Amino acid sequence: MMETFKLLAPLAWRNLWRNPRRTIITLFVVSVGLWSILAVASFITAWAQSSRDATLRLLIAQGQIHAEGYMDDPNISNLMPPPGAALVAALNRPDISNWVTRLELPGVVQSEYKTLPVSLVGVDPDAERRISSIPEKIVEGRYLNGLEDDSAVIGLNLAKRLKTALGRRIILMVTAEDGWLEERSFDVVGVYDADTAFEDTYIFTGRSTMQAMVGVGDKIAQIAFEVPEDAALAGVVERLRAAAPGLDIRPWRKISLIMGAMDATMGGVIFIWLAVMMVMISIGVINTQLMAVFERTHEFGLLRALGFKSRHVLWLVTFESVLLIGLGVLIGMIAGAATVWGLSDGIDLSAFGKALEAFKAGDTLYLEVKTSDYIIFPLAIWALGILVALWPAWRAQKISPVEAMRQAT
Amino acid sequence: MPGVTRRNLLITSVAALLLPRVALAQDPGAILRGAFDNWRATSSHGISEMTIRNASGTRSLSMESWTQGRDKALVRFTAPARDAGNATLQNGRRTYVFNPKLNQVIQLPASAMQQSWMGSDFSYNDLSKTEQIITDYNHRLIGTEQNAGRTVYVIEAIPKRGKPIVWGKQVLRVRDDYVLLGQQFYDQNGNLVREMVADRIGTLGGRPYPVQLTMRSLDKPGQWTRITTQSAEFDIDLPDYLFTRSNLQNPR
Repeated sequence: MMETFKLLAPLAWRNLWRNPRRTIITLFVVSVGLWSILAVASFITAWAQSSRDATLRLLIAQGQIHAEGYMDDPNISNLMPPPGAALVAALNRPDISNWVTRLELPGVVQSEYKTLPVSLVGVDPDAERRISSIPEKIVEGRYLNGLEDDSAVIGLNLAKRLKTALGRRIILMVTAEDGWLEERSFDVVGVYDADTAFEDTYIFTGRSTMQAMVGVGDKIAQIAFEVPEDAALAGVVERLRAAAPGLDIRPWRKISLIMGAMDATMGGVIFIWLAVMMVMISIGVINTQLMAVFERTHEFGLLRALGFKSRHVLWLVTFESVLLIGLGVLIGMIAGAATVWGLSDGIDLSAFGKALEAFKAGDTLYLEVKTSDYIIFPLAIWALGILVALWPAWRAQKISPVEAMRQAT
Repeated sequence: MPGVTRRNLLITSVAALLLPRVALAQDPGAILRGAFDNWRATSSHGISEMTIRNASGTRSLSMESWTQGRDKALVRFTAPARDAGNATLQNGRRTYVFNPKLNQVIQLPASAMQQSWMGSDFSYNDLSKTEQIITDYNHRLIGTEQNAGRTVYVIEAIPKRGKPIVWGKQVLRVRDDYVLLGQQFYDQNGNLVREMVADRIGTLGGRPYPVQLTMRSLDKPGQWTRITTQSAEFDIDLPDYLFTRSNLQNPR
């Protein structure tokens, strides 16, 4: 066996370069295929992560705590008191980097021209600055100052739809404790720029102002918390549940179901691309190897006549494929890694601005080399390439020496 | 109670006859109060027609209405057949609508109060919040005009600080016999947004009255809603059951 290998390996290597053009074309197909898989995988992973982070940073954070029932029916009867001593202690542990309390209720906003449904959020502005990206997204005016701030920060698109502007007055109506819709006028002091769906939904004001408006004392609707490591989230949620039984504590995947589903299917997209590329590579490899075998019928006949067994021919052609595809895979890996490193400063998407807003990604994507991708994908392509090349090899070993010799060269 | 009301009425009528100009010139708030009291009186019953011109054409609705005090009103549509039976009841700050096809009374959530009333340029709020112009605004007399030999007071009303009012200001025109001639709504930049004008003044139930009122929104050119009052009686005795939910659903 070793003897055969020692004999066939150099022969196979030399055979590869007898027709350099064909070899280079095959190398090209394999390496570009693998490169595209690796690059797409990095890009999609980066995009998914960026869009996830960007969305979570707006308001959701990594997890939220509500009173039981609030998520199904976010109204005034499903609020909860501020966190007790045990929960505060649990939230202040180092595996939670930040947390805030908010009052959020559905309401109606009214300008001179329009009346629209919105969600009014009473926030603690100092804590929000640490956990949410909204304070950084103010494009006109200012963010809120303190719990007592009785002005409003609204979204850019909402301002446009209401035909209102900075410094103007809007009326907000929220269902109060007595069941009646409480009205209050707010001065618009800030306009933020997020995605339009978000802008149309959320209006922010000071938490104490809103609590007084709807007459709920110190009650809150939610606690949002942020963890430094997403991997540790499940453990943190468990720990909080133990500290606050009876409250509805959820990780972000269970709060924004769409984002949870997107997160779960992103891997699938990469494998679809992998499947497409594999088919392309297979066709390329089979095509060139089959051609090579047909062209060399005379040669295989000669080898057989010189004493090669038919399995030696099979081995020889398979070796050629192993070397050829292996080389292609190697080049593809190098190209993939080079691409990621070449773009390590991040891909600046800000030029596309509004067009990409719907995807909710941040402005800059940072690609990363994921080790598992660089093991699984190359191995899969190498194995597949060899597998499909068995067919030409099998055709080669079936060649009868007599008939082959009779063929004119 | 009726005695007191009648006496008040008598005093008001006498005052209106004898010294309107003197009294009016001094207090724009009182002028508005007088105009709205003239409009609705202590109670009223009227038959009117509402014509709505919108993008899809013109349609007319006939209606019968009752009001009592400052916060009770019932409007019942009588024609055309498609709309007959629809009714709106305002009692305090609650507004109910009745739809005969559903045979259901619905209390409107306050969030729906800004919606159009029967497809017109009026909102439910326009029906129920007539008092707001008197209580929640600061008033200033900004000029007088002459109209058919009578003095017309032009009053600017600016919302009091903190009141939940979207308008930047309103400008109202009141004739010296307490007839409201017009009401203009301005946004906070001072642009006119919508306007109600009394096109025709007549005498109804023995008092001068804006017989025909037209409401226009400036962002919808060519569209308007016109209410023409055909007959009306004022300061009459109305039974209490009139403004109840059961009467809304099953008129006696």
